[in-house]
Amino acid sequence: MCSHAVALLYEMTASKITLPERRRLNKLILPLQQGPDLTLGQFLKTVEECCPQTAYAVKLRLHEMADGELKDMEYFFSTLPTPFTAFDTEAYKTSVVGLFMRHMLLAYNKLSFSQVYKLYKSLQHYYHSHYAKPMDGQVPALVADDSEMDLTSIEDTVGDRVDKEELDTPLHESELRSDNTPSRGPLSQKQAEYFLARQAYLLKNDENKALKPAALQEELNNMLKFNPDFAEAHYLNYLNSMRVQDIFLSAHSLLHYFDRLILSGNDGKSNGDEGYGRSLRYAALNLASLHCRFGHYQQADLALQEAIRIAQESNDHVCLQHCLSWLYTLEQMKGSDSTVLTEDSVKMAAHFCLPYLASLGIQSLVQQGATQGKTAHKLMDALKDTDILHWKHSLSELIEISLAQTTSIWRMYGKSTMSLQQAQLLLNMSSLEPVNFGVQQNNTEAFAVVLCHLAELHAEQGLYGAVSEIIQHLKEQFPPHTQHAKLWMLCDLKIQFERHMNEGKYHLAEPLVTAITALNQLEGLYRKAQVLKAVNRSTEAYHILQQLQARCEKTKCTEMVIRVMLSTAELHWESSGFSTALPVLLQALALARQHHLQSLASETILHLAFTQLMLGVPEQALNVLHEAVEPILAHRAVMDKGCAMLLAARCQMAVAGFKPNRQGQADLRLAASALDTLNEAAAYFSQLNCKERLRDVHYLQAQLHRSLGQILESNKSAMLFRLLDQELQSPAPPVSMRL
Amino acid sequence: MAMFPGLNVPANSGSDHEMEDAQDLDALTLAKSYFDLKEYDRAAYFLKGCRSQKAYFLYMYSRYLSGEKKKDDETVDSLGPLEKGQVRNEALRELRVELSKKHTAGELDGFTLYLYGVVLRKLDLPKEAVDVFVEGIHALPLHWGAWLELSNLVTNIEMLKSLSLPDCWIKDFFMAHMYTELQMIKEALQKYQNLIEAGFSKSTYIISQIAVAYHNIRDIDQALALFNELREQDPYRIDNMDTFSNLLYVKSMKPELSYLAHNLVEIDKYRVETCCVIGNYYSLRSQHEKAALYFQRALKLNPRCLGAWTLMGHEYMEMKNTSAAIQAYRHAIEVNKRDYRAWYGLGQTYEILKMPFYCLYYYRKAHQLRPNDSRMLVALGESYEKLSQQAEAKKCYWRAYSVGDVEKMALLKLAKLHEQLNESDDAAQCYMLYIQDIFSCGEQLEHAEVSTALRYLGQYYFKNKLYDEASLCAQRCCDYNDAREEGKALLRQISQVRDQIETPSADLFAPLSNNNTPVRRVSPLNLISFTP
Repeated sequence: MCSHAVALLYEMTASKITLPERRRLNKLILPLQQGPDLTLGQFLKTVEECCPQTAYAVKLRLHEMADGELKDMEYFFSTLPTPFTAFDTEAYKTSVVGLFMRHMLLAYNKLSFSQVYKLYKSLQHYYHSHYAKPMDGQVPALVADDSEMDLTSIEDTVGDRVDKEELDTPLHESELRSDNTPSRGPLSQKQAEYFLARQAYLLKNDENKALKPAALQEELNNMLKFNPDFAEAHYLNYLNSMRVQDIFLSAHSLLHYFDRLILSGNDGKSNGDEGYGRSLRYAALNLASLHCRFGHYQQADLALQEAIRIAQESNDHVCLQHCLSWLYTLEQMKGSDSTVLTEDSVKMAAHFCLPYLASLGIQSLVQQGATQGKTAHKLMDALKDTDILHWKHSLSELIEISLAQTTSIWRMYGKSTMSLQQAQLLLNMSSLEPVNFGVQQNNTEAFAVVLCHLAELHAEQGLYGAVSEIIQHLKEQFPPHTQHAKLWMLCDLKIQFERHMNEGKYHLAEPLVTAITALNQLEGLYRKAQVLKAVNRSTEAYHILQQLQARCEKTKCTEMVIRVMLSTAELHWESSGFSTALPVLLQALALARQHHLQSLASETILHLAFTQLMLGVPEQALNVLHEAVEPILAHRAVMDKGCAMLLAARCQMAVAGFKPNRQGQADLRLAASALDTLNEAAAYFSQLNCKERLRDVHYLQAQLHRSLGQILESNKSAMLFRLLDQELQSPAPPVSMRL
Repeated sequence: MAMFPGLNVPANSGSDHEMEDAQDLDALTLAKSYFDLKEYDRAAYFLKGCRSQKAYFLYMYSRYLSGEKKKDDETVDSLGPLEKGQVRNEALRELRVELSKKHTAGELDGFTLYLYGVVLRKLDLPKEAVDVFVEGIHALPLHWGAWLELSNLVTNIEMLKSLSLPDCWIKDFFMAHMYTELQMIKEALQKYQNLIEAGFSKSTYIISQIAVAYHNIRDIDQALALFNELREQDPYRIDNMDTFSNLLYVKSMKPELSYLAHNLVEIDKYRVETCCVIGNYYSLRSQHEKAALYFQRALKLNPRCLGAWTLMGHEYMEMKNTSAAIQAYRHAIEVNKRDYRAWYGLGQTYEILKMPFYCLYYYRKAHQLRPNDSRMLVALGESYEKLSQQAEAKKCYWRAYSVGDVEKMALLKLAKLHEQLNESDDAAQCYMLYIQDIFSCGEQLEHAEVSTALRYLGQYYFKNKLYDEASLCAQRCCDYNDAREEGKALLRQISQVRDQIETPSADLFAPLSNNNTPVRRVSPLNLISFTP
C-alpha cells in the first residue's frame, strides 16, 4: 500500500510548508518507502508529528479518493506526474523520490482494468478499516459526515461490515479467532517479511518478547495458508517448534523450508557455490544441528557426514569449516576428546578468514584445556588474544561467551572475587548489537551461565534473598521450556540442596536428589551419597562414591573426583580410620594443585588438618591450617569459613593442652585466642542458620569459659547449647568425628 | 464439484409444495436456462422472490457458483505474489449466514443441506460440514453428491465408524468407496462383489472402482483385464482412464497406450485424464519434455489434480531437473499430505543428489503412509545401507520380503548384505529363499540375478563340504551366460575333491541330466538339504 506515501509526496510538493517541518518530513520519506506497511492510523500519526497541516491534507486526499468514485483515484494518478516533471523540484527524475514516483506510476499504468478496480477497492478497504474501528477517544470528524455517503455509494463494503457483526456471534471459534488477531488475514509481502524478521530476531535475542509459541504457530499457519510458497515462514515455524521441543514438527518444517528454498531457487541448475547445491549442503548441516539439539547424536553424526561429503564434492570450504566446528561440538557432546579436531578447525578457520569460527574453536579449546588442567596463564592468554579479535570484528556474541567463560574459569579456580567481577562486567556491558525492537540481546546462553554463577556465589555467602531474586529473574528470562532453562534449574536445585544440608534438614534435601539426577546424573549421584552420609548410611554412601569415582575418572571430571575423594575421607573418619583417610586426602590435594583448583585444594587442606588433629599432632595441624585459612577467608563460602574457624579453635585448644572435663594446665593466652576464633565461627554459622555446628561451638565455648573461670559466660553458652540441643532433638554426634 | 443434481427429482408430496412449485415454475424455468448458460448472477436475480424449495436451492446454488467463478477469475489478475492465495469466494459468508438461519429453523431440504455443507467445507469448518452432510444424507439418501462430499471429509476408519448413516442400499456404495480411499482394499473388493451379486453386475461404475482397487494393491493383471472389459462396455468413457494408462505404463505396453491416447484425444482432448494419458504415453516413449508439458496442461485444467503433480515430478526426475521435481512433489503434497508417491519421489530425488540420510525422512514418511509397501522398505534399506547402518538395513529388507516384495529385490539385497558382513549361513539362506521366490512367481524378471545366487550357493556348499548340493548349483550356474565359467570351474573342483575322497558320483549326475526344467529341481532339493 504505497498510495499513502504517494499522496504524502504529492501534498508535500503541492503545498507550502515551513522549513523545519519539511526537514522532518524529508526524514520520514525513507523509512516509509523502505519500511513495512503501516496502518492508516499509524501513518497519519507519524505524519502529524512532523507536520499537522500535511497530515490533514493527506487525509483529505485519501478521503476524497476512498469515498468518491474510481475516477477520483484515476484523476489523482493522472495529475501526479505534473509536480515532478519540473526541473527545479527537489524530486528530480533520478533522485530517490523521483525514481520511486516513476516506479509507482509505471506500475499503475501497467495494471489492467480489473486490477485498477481492485486497487481502488483495496484502497477503500484500507481507508475504511481505519475508521471502522476508530481509536478510543478520538473519533475522527470525517466519519460522522460520511456514513450517509457510505451507504449509498459503496454498498458492498457496508454490507460486508454489517454481515460481519451479524456473523460473529454464531461463528465457529477458529474463524472468530482469525478475525480478532491483531494482524488478521492477509498480510502484504512487506508486512509478512517484517513480521517474520521481527519474530526471528526476538526468538534469538529475547524469547519472552516474541509471540507465545501457540500464537506464533497460528500466525504462521495463517500466512502459509495464504501463500504456501513463502519459504521463510517455514523456517520460522522450525524455530518455533524447536522452542517447544517438538522434534516432529521442527524436522518437518526444516525440510520443507529447504525444499522451498531449493525451488525458489537462485536460478536453478548450477550445483556450484551459488544455486541450490549450496542450500542442499546447508540443509544437511541444519538437519545435523537439529538432531544434535535434540540429543540424537548418531543421527546428527550421519547427517553431518552427509553434509561434509557434499561440501567436499563441491569444494565449499566455508561450509566444510562449519561442518568441522559442528563435528568437534558433537564429539564433545558425546563426551569424547576432540582437542585435535578443534585445533584443526581453528587452523583451517584462520586460513579461510572466518574469525567467528576460529575464535569459537579457541573458546572450545580453552574450555577443554581448563577441564584437563592446562596451565592457567596460557588459557587466559588465549582468551585475551581472542578477545582482541572479537573487539576488532565486533563479534558481540563471542565477547559475551568469552566473559562467561572467564567467569566460569575463575570460579573453577576458586577465585570468587574475580569471578564475581567478570560476571558483573558482562551483565553491565552494553551490547554492541544495535538495539532492535526495544530488545537488548540478553537471553543467550552466556547470560544464563553468568547469572547462575552469580546466584551460586551469593548462595555461598548466605545471601539467600539475593539468590531468590536472581533465580526469579532467570525464570522470567528463560522460561522452563526454553533451551537454556536446564542451567538455572540445576543451579537452583543445587542451592536449595546445599541450604537444606547446611541447616540439617536432610529429609528436605533428599527429594531434591531425584530432580538433580534428572538434570545431571553425576551430580545427582554425588548428592545422593552426601545425603546418605549425613543420615549415617555409610555403607551405601561408600558404594555410590566408589562407583562415582570410577565413572568420573573415566570422563576426566577432575573436580568431581576430588570432591568424591573428600567425601570418602569423611566416611573414613566416621569409622575412626584417620590414618586410612590420609593417603586419599593427599592424593586429592595433589590433583587439586595440579589442576589449579584452589578452592578444592584449600578444602582438602582443611580435611588434612582435621585428620592430623585427630591423629594427635595439633601443632602440625595448626601449621597446615594457617596455610589454607587465608584463601578460605578470601574466597570460600561462609560455611567453609565457619568450619575453618571452628577447626582452628579446636587446634588451638589442643595445642593449649586443653582437655575436656579436666582443667589441666592450659595455656590461657592460647585459650583466649581460641575463644575469639570460636566467636568468629559462631558468627559465620548463625549467618547460615546452621544449628548443629552452632551447638558444637557453644559447647566448646562453655568449656573454654569455664576453664578460664568465666562462670557467667560459661553458663550463658551452656544455656545456648541446651536450647539448641532441645530444638534439634537428634543427639549430637561426637564432636571428634567431623570437621 | 458435484454436478448440478437436476430438477427432475420428485418433489415432496403435499399441495402446499405443489402450489408453490406451480407459482414459481416460470421463474424457475427461466432461471434454470440462465443457470445452464452459466449466467449465475442473472439466474439468482430472477429467483429472488421465489418461495418453493427448488427455486430456493437454485437461487442459493447460483449465488455460490457465481462466487466460485469470480474467485477463479480473480486468481488470474492478482496484484502481488502474496495475494495469490488470498482470493476467496466472497459469497460464502453471506450464504452461510442465510443458510444457518434456515438450518436452525429446520427449513432446509436435502439439496440445500448439501449446499450448506459445501459452504461450510469451503469455509474450513470440517466438523460442522460433516454434521450437515450427514443430516443432508438422511434427508435425501439418494443424492450421491452429498455422499461424495462426505467421503472427502472422512480421514480415518474410526471416524467412518462413528458416523450414523441411513440404512440404504447406496450406503454400500459409499462404504466401498471409503474403503478404497482408506486403502482397505480387501474390504472394498468384498463390498463391490456383494453389490455385483445384488444386481449391479452391469454397472460400469463398479467395474471401474474394482479396477482402481486392484490398481491400488498393484494387482496389475487383474486391473488391466477389468479396464479392458470396461472399455468394451463403455468405449467413450474418460473417467479413470488415467489410472488405466498408469497400468499400461507400468507394464510398458506401448501400442495399447498409444491406442488409448489417440482414442481419448478424439473423444475430448481438454480433459485432465486425457492429458495425463498423453503424458504417460510420451513418458513411455522417453520424450520427457513433452510429457511434462502435458502434465502441466492437465494442471492448468485442474490445479488440484494430484496425480498430475506427482507424475510431473517423475518426468522432471527423468530429465534430471531435480529442483523442478522437488517443486512438483511439494505441490502434490500440498494438495494431499497423504500422497505417498510424492513423498517417495522426494526421497528418490534426494537419493539422486546423494543425500542418503536426508532422504530417509521422506522414505519414512512414505513408509508411514503405506506400511505394507515393499518399495518404500527397500528404499529405506538401501539408504541405511549407504549410511552403513547394516542392522537397520537388514530389518528393512527382511520386512520388505515379509510384506510381499513386488520387485523381488529385497532378498537379493539382504543376501548381499549378509555376504558383505561374512554371515555366510544367513546369506545362503537368503539366496535360497530368493531363488525359490523367483521361480515360484513363474515369469522371468529382467533384473533377476539367479546366477549370482547360484554361484554363491555353490561356493557355500562347497566350503561346507556338501558336494552334492554344490555340484547341483554349479550345474545350474552353467545355464546362465555370466556364470558359466565359474560353474564349470566349480564342477571341476568338486570332482577333484571327490576323486580324492573316492566317492562315486556318477549316479548323482544321471537324474539331473534327464530333467531339464530347472525350476522344479532347485527348490525341493534346497528345501530338504538346507535347514539352518
